[in-house]
Amino acid sequence: MSFTHLHVSTAFSAHYGVSWPEELAQAAHADGATALACTDRDGLYGTVKHLKACMEAGIDPIVGVDLAVFDDDGDHRTQVAGRVVVLAHGHNNGAGYRALCRLVSDAHARTSGKAGGPVPVAVTRAELASRTLHPETLEPVLTVLIGPDSDVGRAMGGRRYLRPRTLFKRWLDAMPPGTIAAEAVTQLSAPGEPYSTAHAVRMLKLAYEHNVPAVLSNAVRYCAEDGAATADVLESARTLKSLPELSAAPMLQPNGQGWLKSAEQMLELGKEIIGAAGYGAAALGTLLAETEALADTCRIDPVLDMGWKQPLVPEASVIGIGGDPLRELSQRCDAGITRRFPGISGQAKERMRSRLEHELAIIGDLGFASYFLTVAEVSKMITGMGVRSAARGSGASSLVNYLTGISQVDPLQHDLIFERFLSGDRSTLPDIDIDVESAERHKVYRMIFKRFGAERVTLMSMQNGYRARGAVRDAGLALGMDDGDVGEIAKQLWRFSARKFREALVEKPELRDFAGRVEAGRGEQGGMEENEQLDMLVDLTERLDRLPRHISMHPCGVILGDATLLDRTPVQPSGLGLPMSQFDKHDMDPMGMLKLDVLGVRMQSAMAFAVREVIRLHPSKAEVVEAGRHPTGPDGTGPDYIFTDGTIDLNAVPLDDEPTYELIRSTHTLGCFQIESPGQRELVGKMAPRDFNDLIIDISLFRPGPMKSDMVRPFLEHRHGFAPEVYPHPDLKPVLQETHGVTVFHEQILRTFDVMTQCGLAKADEYRRLLGSEAEPEVEAIFRREARARNYPAEVVDKVWGTLKAFGSFGFCKAHGAAFAVPTYQSAWLKAHHPEAFLAGLWEHDPGMYPKRLLMAEARRLGIPILPLDINRSRAEYRVERIEGGPERGKLGIRLSLTGIYGLSGTELKRIVAGQPYDSLADLRARARVSKPNIKRLAQLGAFDALHRDSGGAASRADLVHHLQMLQNRPSRKGIELVEGQLALPLGDVELRNLAPELPEPTMVDNVRAELDLMAVDASGHLMESHRPLLDRLGVTTADKLLGLRNGSEVLVAGVRIATQTPPMRGGRRVVFISIDDGTGCVDTVFFHEAQEQSGPLLFGTRLLLIRGTTRRTGPRGISLSASMAWDLSRPETLPLGQNPAAGVGIPEEFTHPGPLDGISRNLAITGLGS
Amino acid sequence: MGIFSESIDVDCTPDGQPAELRWRGLSYVVCADPLRWYERRQWWVEESRAPLGSGAGLVDHEIWRVQLKRSPDPRTREAGDAATEPPLTLDLVRHVGSGRWRLLRIHDAAQSRTAEPDEPAQYA
Repeated sequence: MSFTHLHVSTAFSAHYGVSWPEELAQAAHADGATALACTDRDGLYGTVKHLKACMEAGIDPIVGVDLAVFDDDGDHRTQVAGRVVVLAHGHNNGAGYRALCRLVSDAHARTSGKAGGPVPVAVTRAELASRTLHPETLEPVLTVLIGPDSDVGRAMGGRRYLRPRTLFKRWLDAMPPGTIAAEAVTQLSAPGEPYSTAHAVRMLKLAYEHNVPAVLSNAVRYCAEDGAATADVLESARTLKSLPELSAAPMLQPNGQGWLKSAEQMLELGKEIIGAAGYGAAALGTLLAETEALADTCRIDPVLDMGWKQPLVPEASVIGIGGDPLRELSQRCDAGITRRFPGISGQAKERMRSRLEHELAIIGDLGFASYFLTVAEVSKMITGMGVRSAARGSGASSLVNYLTGISQVDPLQHDLIFERFLSGDRSTLPDIDIDVESAERHKVYRMIFKRFGAERVTLMSMQNGYRARGAVRDAGLALGMDDGDVGEIAKQLWRFSARKFREALVEKPELRDFAGRVEAGRGEQGGMEENEQLDMLVDLTERLDRLPRHISMHPCGVILGDATLLDRTPVQPSGLGLPMSQFDKHDMDPMGMLKLDVLGVRMQSAMAFAVREVIRLHPSKAEVVEAGRHPTGPDGTGPDYIFTDGTIDLNAVPLDDEPTYELIRSTHTLGCFQIESPGQRELVGKMAPRDFNDLIIDISLFRPGPMKSDMVRPFLEHRHGFAPEVYPHPDLKPVLQETHGVTVFHEQILRTFDVMTQCGLAKADEYRRLLGSEAEPEVEAIFRREARARNYPAEVVDKVWGTLKAFGSFGFCKAHGAAFAVPTYQSAWLKAHHPEAFLAGLWEHDPGMYPKRLLMAEARRLGIPILPLDINRSRAEYRVERIEGGPERGKLGIRLSLTGIYGLSGTELKRIVAGQPYDSLADLRARARVSKPNIKRLAQLGAFDALHRDSGGAASRADLVHHLQMLQNRPSRKGIELVEGQLALPLGDVELRNLAPELPEPTMVDNVRAELDLMAVDASGHLMESHRPLLDRLGVTTADKLLGLRNGSEVLVAGVRIATQTPPMRGGRRVVFISIDDGTGCVDTVFFHEAQEQSGPLLFGTRLLLIRGTTRRTGPRGISLSASMAWDLSRPETLPLGQNPAAGVGIPEEFTHPGPLDGISRNLAITGLGS
Repeated sequence: MGIFSESIDVDCTPDGQPAELRWRGLSYVVCADPLRWYERRQWWVEESRAPLGSGAGLVDHEIWRVQLKRSPDPRTREAGDAATEPPLTLDLVRHVGSGRWRLLRIHDAAQSRTAEPDEPAQYA
């Protein structure tokens, strides 16, 4: 016999289910089942994966949901009365699935989209009833299972017989006939408890008494017994209560019997229920037959019911075309030619034409014209909004994309191959990704909804699974461990999967202390030492690994469909308010959904900001040309890409500006897109890019693959002429010349295949995709045969195949590189010509990998004044200002922004800016209504210093802060309000003037500490400054002096952590890169295995580091440090201060006084490393 | 913490139900259909490890409630005192992994006997 489980939660029932759809489907199939249901809680989160798993296992999928139902008697908006399972009927052209989708969307419609909102995910009984019938035929399309968690089931405790019956009858009254069934579940819990046989019996009797069919299920939460403990831990994570608390409540599952039991075991359970009910053998047959009958009704046809792999694109009418989409696309491309290639003629024109026809033919064959028109429509809409955008990825390989304005890269100029993007041999929709200004992204989303209609658009979601840190935190919570203690352990977990925790304990030096504690905790059981349960913590952490925690809005995915989209995906509100699909990126292709990646890129916002600042400061072409030292040109008016009002058209800036490449070669590229990381600064230093193609190569080389497989070194040797370029065969020279004989790009692989086998580029791309796969031997056989047939010598074929094979794991699409290189170049151009505006843009939008404070240090290094916070001059954003007086008169400085001050609310900020300027504190209080603590914070940050000076007061900032603190402590008193019509006398600030000077000015350390505490930046001075005496005593070398040292010198360096990276490495041994900033620049250090062993917990846990290492010269402008040892600078007693004069003599006070970071806990914002 | 209980010798029917047992030197037969259920354990306290793949028996244990009568004395083939004694109700625990049986509770209040701890139960 076989049995069909109709109530199964997968792992995608977040914090509830334990097992993956694949495991469940395989287990069901192995037991002889022919169908399996997936009924995740609150949504269809696992449904598409379930479909795929069932198809792979060769069984029929059944889809449903486990939903809460609002209590008809209680508050209809917040109180739920139990949960039911709703199953979709199949083989009805999707009517069942459609109703299920809409029902799930109903359940989420009232929620806020934010975690912990007051409204639960639930449906009313009326909504449920209204969805159960086909809207036209009025046939049932859904079945509702009334089971142990329903209001009926929950009322069965004790000896109440009437209540469950009343509740059951209510269901009968509310639901159309033929849409409900009773669900009998026994998990063999203690007699009379929920999920006991006794309860199942009562449910069964209730059903038969009312002539309702009953089915047997096991309310499955895990595939096998072993999952029960994991389910307990998930229960704890969901309720935020420890296992002891849950167990006492009692709120845990009654026992561990909720697994996918075999048909035989289910038969035994059926017998037990029927026996306990006092029914005969025939009743057992009925129970099982009705279960299978419902299962049969609910078998889903993936294609006909759910539209499996059926493409769904917006209707032609929506994108504004009446006729043939391909003809329309072709016309739009023609229109683009004059814009993109003005005056093109002769051979160039022919080449371009034939490329265009080639692309259009492939697009036509695949029937993707309306897809391209849709993307072009979105792209046009974004441009129309005045938002910067750029296509990224392989979409840049397409001339059609260039002509229709989707992409900004000319594929002919950079020799990009269309087949890498799309070919007749592949039928999946290609990905076109559009980068937009991050600050405008939500606006763009809203416009897409408006443009295509809310019924055709939804955001895509993503599943967030447990990683090591979250897993250890929740495992600790389950065990009731101390938060702080678990937090300390979590801090040391660095980029490995939770599943490998125990392995990591042995291997990773930073976990050495913890591993020791685990070992110690294994003392005798019940011994004197308190059992720390650390061994258990490790086991539970491993159990949580990868399990989904929640879904959230995908950072860029927008799903576009036709008017039936919401029949095919359930939606729920995102944090943004816009609806979000319950499907993630893995579900798009199976469901035939068109996903557009509209990615918010902060660098685009930063650049747009910088360009606006340039115009604001220099409102004419002449001023911009002068300020940016742009070429004046033959007629002396400056370049065309600067308009008369000073607007810079960044996309039109020629890609050959020498000062830009000089800046890049200097390696002072902090803040520049893609080339600011420690590794990239090293690479650009070595490579010294001279033109745009060099930038493309640089970006393509800086990938895990090429770095890992040592492509970079031979490339650089050939480039700099240290070693002669070699080509395996003269025929390949044109293909490999641009990279000096080294294969870097996917495009080169395609051409190599094509040159040597004449297979055509589409086939070549197919071969490329098979490299490194199981089918590689076949590709090898074809390659060798065809190349030999064309008379290439055997050794050439061997050598080239070696390269192709090695390429399987790496290489980069040149089109990606070219698309990336555009903003790289543009950002470097801005930094070279308008550094103040560019840095202001970076501070405002924080695009890079580093904490903002490092870019403030960069301003200091460039000699750009950082202007303090000022209540009358600071705005809600950073601003470039011309300095009016003092020694720096005439220079451009950057004024700090009021945004991002700890505690200051958005509305206070708006009021402050709206009311500027203020002539006194009283004025500020009266008009901006800033809270007392925030006034004090502003004072601490020096925002009133100028006002204070103007008032003529003699007191210090410390006096003012003290005064405001006193006011804050005093009970609030209604201020004296001005009578309307009465003018405030322009007395200046009496309050400030009359302040008695008692306290000295705060020290630099105090000021910097306040800035770090309240703004996470050190603006008035570098935070390392105050450690200088200690560093001098230690004999530390500063970053700016390193370049002058010989290779291999041993030095001590010190600074604040700014970057921590553990890239994958050749040979598999972990390497840790730590960069620190000491105020004169960055020091990039690398910790190999031995140094990691030496440094242990300091690797990831320390903000201020002292590092000993040996210099490694990496190029004419680059130097880094191979570390041998690290210390925590904030623990002076551990530092290598040399022989102390005498034992017992302490460390001098000047070395131990607290630095600006003392007592500041904002690790992530300051060091880039979260805790 | 742990459950202290006596180990018990149980003979089962072919489908796994207890049929006879020996306890404190006396033999008993099961005289009514036994009840079986599963109760959860405080596994996070009672165990020090719970690695993936621990299998069955970590989260719950199997409980059997049996009603017992003394076996007839094999020497006399007579029921003797046993026939007049009221049935004895015991809750037994079967460890799923090892199949060993232990006494958990004695229900018959009239007998006012309690299970005396002699050794800690081992569920690992």
